[in-house]
Amino acid sequence: MEVSRVATSAFSPLEKVAPKASQGNDFAEKLWQALEEVNNLQKEADAAILDVALGKEENLHRAIIALERANLALGLAVQVRNKVIEAYQEIMRMQV
Amino acid sequence: MKIFRSFDISASALTAERLRLSVIATNIANAETTRTPQGGPYRRKEVVFVPRENGGVEVAAIQEDTTTPPRMVYDPGHPDANSEGFVAYPNVSVVNEMVDLLAATRAYEANVAALNATKSMLTSSLNIGR
Repeated sequence: MEVSRVATSAFSPLEKVAPKASQGNDFAEKLWQALEEVNNLQKEADAAILDVALGKEENLHRAIIALERANLALGLAVQVRNKVIEAYQEIMRMQV
Repeated sequence: MKIFRSFDISASALTAERLRLSVIATNIANAETTRTPQGGPYRRKEVVFVPRENGGVEVAAIQEDTTTPPRMVYDPGHPDANSEGFVAYPNVSVVNEMVDLLAATRAYEANVAALNATKSMLTSSLNIGR
């Protein structure tokens, strides 16, 4: 009797984890979305430069601004990454 | 992203100033044009700026200056001279256009300065806590 109770309690946390990940407010998912946005800005900058080079775009400043945007977004992503790594290392240094 | 809102505002102004510069260049290029498809001499064009709803500026229209009369020059030998020997030249004053050209260039520079200020603000906010 005791054994079956242990078995059910051991399985229930696993079942709880699965729906939580698909809810969408997971930190990992948010981070992924942010990275996706940074990637999109890089692609936009790339396309803008290509348009200028191909002569499709007469406004040079649009390409330069797209580049600046991509640059700043990447800087922000790198800063977030630095903070995450910092926090991780802080935890790993903790004496147990 | 919302943090790039002021970038978009400055970018709209840069686009508008570039268009204004093109119109001024057209005016200077056609300062001596006496014949147009509509008939009569070329008329000075001017851009009309309107504010955009979510910040920034845009060009509402490029309008012709119809109030200033054309410049009449006596030149009976000219193919476009009228029965009295006068030729109607465009109402473009090259001196005024040069002043507008300078103003447009400076306005462009001012918007670039605003854009750079935004950029350095964002960059220094990335340095918070470092």
